[in-house]
Amino acid sequence: MFGSHKVKIEGELLDKAKQCADACGYESVDEFVIHMLEKEIKKVLPPDEGTPSKELVKKRLQGLGYIE
Amino acid sequence: MITGCQRASSTAAGSKKLIILGIDGMDPQLLRQFMGEGKMPNFAKLASEGSFRELGTSIPPQSPVAWSNLITGMNAGGHGIFDFIHRDPKTLEPYFSASRVEGPKHALHLGQWVIPLGGGSAEQLRKGAAFWEILDQHHVRNVLFRIPSNFPPVPAKGETLSGMGTPDLRGTYGTFSFYTDDPTQAAGAVEGGQIIPVEVENSRVTANLIGPDNSFRKGSPPAMEPFSVAVDPLEAVAKVSVQDQEFVLREGEWSDWVHVEFDLVPWFASVKGMCRFYLKQAHPRFQLYVSPLNIDPADPALPISTPSSYSRTLAEEAGEYYTQGIAEDTKALSDAVLDDKEYLEQARTVLAEHRKIFDAEFPKFHEGLFFFYFSSLDLNSHMFWRLMDPKHPEYDAALAAQYGSTIEKFYQQIDQVLGEVLPKLDEQTTLLVLSDHGFAPYYRSFNLNTWLLQNGYIKLKAGSDASTDTNQPFANVDWSATRAYGLGLNGLYLNLRGREAGGIVQPGTEADGLIKEIDQKLLAVRDPKTGFAVITRMDIASEVYQGPYARSGPDVIVGYNRGYRAGWKTILGAFPPDVLEDNSNPWSGDHCMDSSLVPGVLLSNRPIPAPAPALTDIAPTILAEFGIAKTKDMMGHSVFQSAPQARKN
Repeated sequence: MFGSHKVKIEGELLDKAKQCADACGYESVDEFVIHMLEKEIKKVLPPDEGTPSKELVKKRLQGLGYIE
Repeated sequence: MITGCQRASSTAAGSKKLIILGIDGMDPQLLRQFMGEGKMPNFAKLASEGSFRELGTSIPPQSPVAWSNLITGMNAGGHGIFDFIHRDPKTLEPYFSASRVEGPKHALHLGQWVIPLGGGSAEQLRKGAAFWEILDQHHVRNVLFRIPSNFPPVPAKGETLSGMGTPDLRGTYGTFSFYTDDPTQAAGAVEGGQIIPVEVENSRVTANLIGPDNSFRKGSPPAMEPFSVAVDPLEAVAKVSVQDQEFVLREGEWSDWVHVEFDLVPWFASVKGMCRFYLKQAHPRFQLYVSPLNIDPADPALPISTPSSYSRTLAEEAGEYYTQGIAEDTKALSDAVLDDKEYLEQARTVLAEHRKIFDAEFPKFHEGLFFFYFSSLDLNSHMFWRLMDPKHPEYDAALAAQYGSTIEKFYQQIDQVLGEVLPKLDEQTTLLVLSDHGFAPYYRSFNLNTWLLQNGYIKLKAGSDASTDTNQPFANVDWSATRAYGLGLNGLYLNLRGREAGGIVQPGTEADGLIKEIDQKLLAVRDPKTGFAVITRMDIASEVYQGPYARSGPDVIVGYNRGYRAGWKTILGAFPPDVLEDNSNPWSGDHCMDSSLVPGVLLSNRPIPAPAPALTDIAPTILAEFGIAKTKDMMGHSVFQSAPQARKN
């Protein structure tokens, strides 16, 4: 089941997150934080089945001719 | 008598010359047939006055493995290339075995721009010293054109151009684009390319060429460059405008190479590529094929040669050429974007480019080693076997009347190349003509993962159904109850505890017993349609591989009978409903089978006394020709020695 979870960010961390979000062109702190979390999760957990990276790998390999 | 047959063995190393023609996929049975029919007079001359032997191929007989055996003198346990496709045991993520292209690891984010800190990199994954690195150490000059499994090229003093394994500008192994206003053509990604819908408005089409992912922009969207096509409303002609270039194409006409520069950051960073356009149809439907974007040899975005200027020199001397490792666009034919005639024109262009380079480079060869690689027999045997073999499910008598001799004609072109070489042989020159493997029909697919599922070695999560989506790799697999899986063209892996993330099979007695059990069952499989054995050989990795990487690959290498191969979708872990099915793809010949059934060829102007020459003998042979001792890791011996030898593939 998918749900939602709120995390409270405040003080200096929030200020820095705002600065980073602005500098990097994110629409909001929320978007920045979610992107950072996704990046870190990718480093720790194996990718889910059917994630874009698997599709990309498949796309690359199809040019070899041996797979559909 | 071909000069060189009786040469003295005491010739000084400094004056020796060695020529190697590497003919990917040349098959001994077909060669014998064509020589016997008088269609390959130069090969017949070489075989009768010199020698012609079968050349033991690699386990498995796949080009990256086979050429790595040749390059290093070791088998897969030594060079670490076991299959076209490897997997990360922790994630089961598949990847191309021979090389990896990576973007920059760190970047500076400025607004919508992401500035990479340091460039991306290309990494060669083959281990072990290449024979030309050893030649370099002994100051033997060498030139190697498109030797496979050498991207990015290892640092070398000689002139080398990378071959199979070299990606296109998008980092794939070939992605074409097909622009059409045909509403019946589904838009989006197809196997080897992309169908891009366009509209013809006022006889004009505007669209984008799709370039490499732009890592300078947030989210790395692909770089785009616009182009336009003015379609003549009456004639089957169109004018294409790309950046500052304009050219006219008639229907059914190919363009020359067209250079395209993709701006990644305006005024700051760009990357150059080149492609060819083919106007398939102007009316009533607009259909325009654009080849994969090739790395520009004059200004390569990734390293493709040593010295780095060599790729440009070749282009200046012999004209521009496909730099993509597998240049023949077989997927465009499989996807029916190009038909047989159109694909064949493209494939002939590839060989014509290679022959022009050969004609420019070979006369300059005066000392050391000259190696030249030809891909045409391999790719075109893959694509046209169906039209010379009435037993193939895709045989079509009408098409066979037109294209049934395609493979033979490509063999004859290689014979012409040999005809240019033979008159140049002298007392000091040894010639080797060799292939990495032979060829066989591919009639029927065996879906190994479906078989493992049906036989209880793969288990699915409760309540799930593998057949609902055959495109999802290992969809719904319950790894806590799965004991073995197939990945790659010949690989069978145990789900081994301590190696795979969810491994359950205990190494040792349990693993050995499971391998034996699966081996026996697979060797007993019979095709209900023909009664033939589907699998004729199972090689256990621990028994056939030697070296530091012997345990890095599959646990068992599945050797299919002639006519059979791993199914198209099982290779990446999908579960088609049927274990066995007809191969209905134009890709109709193959070699990823029982290695003993698809040997390569070895011809020379000298006698070959070795009892069973194999690919792992070639590197020691090359070194011995220049008086250099083979390294301790090399398992073979010079094929010009008669000493008995153990066969290690």
